[in-house]
Amino acid sequence: MQTMVPHVDPLPLPGPVWLFTVLLLVVFTLHVAMMNSALGGGLWALWNYLRGRHAEHEYSRRLAQELAAMLPTFLAFTVTLGVAALLFVQVLYGNFLYTSSILLASTWLMVIPLVMVAYYGYYYFSSKSVEGKGTAGCVLAISVCVLLTIAFIFVNNMTLMLRPERWLEIYRGGPNGWNLNLGEPTLAPRYLHIVNGAVALFSAILAQIGMSRMKKDPGYGRWLVQRSALVFAACTGLQFLLGMWLLLATPREIAMTLLRDPLAGGVFGLALVSVIAALLLILLGSLVEKPTKLVSAGFGVSLVTLLLMVCLRYLLRMAYLKPYADLGGLQVEAQWGVIVLFVVLFVGGLGTVGYMIGLVLKAGKKAALAK
Amino acid sequence: MNYPYWQLGFPGGMLIALVAVLHVFVSHFAVGGGFFLVATEARARRTNDLALLEYCKRHTTFFALLTLVFGAVSGVGIWFTIGLVSPEATSTLIHAFVWLWAIEWVFFFVEIAAAIIYAKTWDTLSARDHQIIGWIYFVAAWMSLFVINGILTFMLTPGKWLEGHSLMDGFFNPTYWPSLLARSAAAVVLAGLFAFITLPKEGARNEVARMAAKWMVAGAVVMPVALWWYAAKLPLFAHLSLGMGVTSVTHALRGGVGFSLLALVLALVCGAWKPEWMRPPVVVVLVLCGIGMVGAGEYLREYLRKPWAVNTLVYANDVRAGEVAAITENGVLKTAKFLPHADATSPAYGRDLFVLQCGACHGAEGYRSMTRRVDGWDAAFAADILQHIHVLRGTMPPFAGDEQDRKALGKYLAGLNPEWHLTITAANKLEMGKKVFDSRCGHCHTVNGSFRPLRGTFENATAAQVAEVFPALGAMSSNMPEFNAPAEQAEALSFYIAHEANLPLTVKPGPTEMPTGTNHSRMRSPARPGESATTQSGAKRNSLTQEVR
Repeated sequence: MQTMVPHVDPLPLPGPVWLFTVLLLVVFTLHVAMMNSALGGGLWALWNYLRGRHAEHEYSRRLAQELAAMLPTFLAFTVTLGVAALLFVQVLYGNFLYTSSILLASTWLMVIPLVMVAYYGYYYFSSKSVEGKGTAGCVLAISVCVLLTIAFIFVNNMTLMLRPERWLEIYRGGPNGWNLNLGEPTLAPRYLHIVNGAVALFSAILAQIGMSRMKKDPGYGRWLVQRSALVFAACTGLQFLLGMWLLLATPREIAMTLLRDPLAGGVFGLALVSVIAALLLILLGSLVEKPTKLVSAGFGVSLVTLLLMVCLRYLLRMAYLKPYADLGGLQVEAQWGVIVLFVVLFVGGLGTVGYMIGLVLKAGKKAALAK
Repeated sequence: MNYPYWQLGFPGGMLIALVAVLHVFVSHFAVGGGFFLVATEARARRTNDLALLEYCKRHTTFFALLTLVFGAVSGVGIWFTIGLVSPEATSTLIHAFVWLWAIEWVFFFVEIAAAIIYAKTWDTLSARDHQIIGWIYFVAAWMSLFVINGILTFMLTPGKWLEGHSLMDGFFNPTYWPSLLARSAAAVVLAGLFAFITLPKEGARNEVARMAAKWMVAGAVVMPVALWWYAAKLPLFAHLSLGMGVTSVTHALRGGVGFSLLALVLALVCGAWKPEWMRPPVVVVLVLCGIGMVGAGEYLREYLRKPWAVNTLVYANDVRAGEVAAITENGVLKTAKFLPHADATSPAYGRDLFVLQCGACHGAEGYRSMTRRVDGWDAAFAADILQHIHVLRGTMPPFAGDEQDRKALGKYLAGLNPEWHLTITAANKLEMGKKVFDSRCGHCHTVNGSFRPLRGTFENATAAQVAEVFPALGAMSSNMPEFNAPAEQAEALSFYIAHEANLPLTVKPGPTEMPTGTNHSRMRSPARPGESATTQSGAKRNSLTQEVR
């Protein structure tokens, strides 16, 4: 049978597969963390903005304003880190991703104007949230809905790239690219898993933000830690159910990878352990009169869970594409000189960003002292 | 042929152009505007000019909103679009330059972080620290341009990379430095241009307007030098494209110069001389001029690269050069993975081939309409000419497909227009002859014009002598199609050619195929048996292309 998968690029891979894989996993984890903050933060901001319009919910109002200042930056880095993930995934799986993207082309390209709409909406909300008017809430709601739509389009593409056997049928059904991958059984659970996961992870982040507010304003800090811990717990519970649904919807031979492949099984087991640990730590640390450092530990463990889930996602992708992709068989001619240059500049870039943040923090401390 | 072709209803190249022009317009402002901001801030602080400092803050908000959102996201839009329209070309570039792209991403990351911090810390950071952030932004933004410029110029002039695939050869390719200079100059021009958008109503208005005009002039002074240098480094096949007198290229050249001059005049008159005249309508015209300048530049850059998307590797229709022979031998049906109708006898198959191989640049209607281009073609002529399509004007990729494919596509192309039933009379013979010439010969030849002129071949010939040549055209050269037009069309055509070739020349013929070093006498010499003027010029163009590679 002729495979529908386009052949790999005739040019050799300019670096070892393991290096691209590591880079992809790292930048994608950071991208997801930022995406979760942009989406989960948007949902949190929306709820608290609406709630905070009533005089008695002072903390909600305050939280909405805090988040308003952060949301554009979250989205900025979601996009920036997404670019790097897109770059590295193209090197390894370009022939799959290009094809699925073309099949959904018109829908897929909508992501670009939609991101702009969400982004400008966040900026608008950021500049108007203090006024507490309904317009700002409406704009924020639109931004959040747009981000939810973008996530849906992404899930459609990311699931379709794993299913070469369905490509021709979809292409012949709509070569104009106005397609979705609605026939995919994992679509709904995967989408819900991602959206719910975004709220869960951002709740863990908020719990940590709450911890950092404890010194200045213990009342607000405690409120924030406890509220976000509860949402984190609820979303994590739901995440278990959605995860089971996703697993049941996954083709049996792929799902069996979790049992048969020691690496995938190990990562899956670790992810389960770490998510339970994060849940316990955050709950134990927050449901007391004065939240303890267990919350911060729980936050750290939830980031580890995210990394493990990203690795698991990657291993499942490999299982899906095993009949079609042979990364090990790719010709490699590593461009070591420029790889070293990249690493040096990457470290230098991080250092520069760190330096700039240092300047900001130093100025903040000075201002606090002056007060 | 490996990927499905997105049938978006108009040429995919136009979509790339639309996204790219808007992105380039804003992203070059992101570079130059950053320089403008930090330099203006330094000046305001040095002279303790509070009004100017206030302008800087205001301009920063506009700058951040435009470049961080539209600029950055439209850049991702280019990634998306090229992957959808030209996946093979994109994959090629990714495999050759992924690490350079990764480096560019590092600068992009720093640039975004610095822009956010710069915009947010006007009132919190010390003057020194705030300016440090501004300079970090500018350096990162310009370095991002420095890196991406290598990949963009590689697409046209891969230079020595072709010999040993050395990354540095590909990066610092022949047009790298002139292009970098031109883009940097454009960034300075756009920095000035965008400064007018946020011009305050009072306060530092006059000062900013004069400064903005100076920035535009400074960039504009460098630009011609950079473009001249760039043109000098262009490969010969790109020079040929420039010298062909293609209407759209001429329009782009004139438009680019016109928009630039208009923008400069407006900046000098309404910016430097009478700042009070710089009102919103003038600013709108300035912005449109800016888009026009960038659009013309990008159009020319794309056109000059034809028939390639990536020179010598991937054609503009996303067919890999290395796969053409196999597709021609085995046929599209056996090689293309995604055909909407996998039945060569289906009438829709011809349309599929059209979309697959021509759709990146042509639609049946609209921009670069094929309906207009194939007027008067019959199916046999169309199928025949597809074999020679890459020598028409040298800007077309070769047709990749077997005889069955050519026939199917030829039938589709011929079906775009109703069949001709010309009534030729003594009175309209010349007019009809021109019509036939435009349809059958005009894609590759002129009679007295600059591109592959036939005058040298047919000067002093009678119409009957011209007509005698027609039956032998196909045998004269592998690059000439058979002449199979009805007899009355042949008669009108020969009458037209003989008439035109014997007209006294009122205009000195332009460069025959290339602006420099062309052997005019050879081009104008009568065809020798077995070697028509077409063969000579076609062969010359091909040999020049080879030479460049």
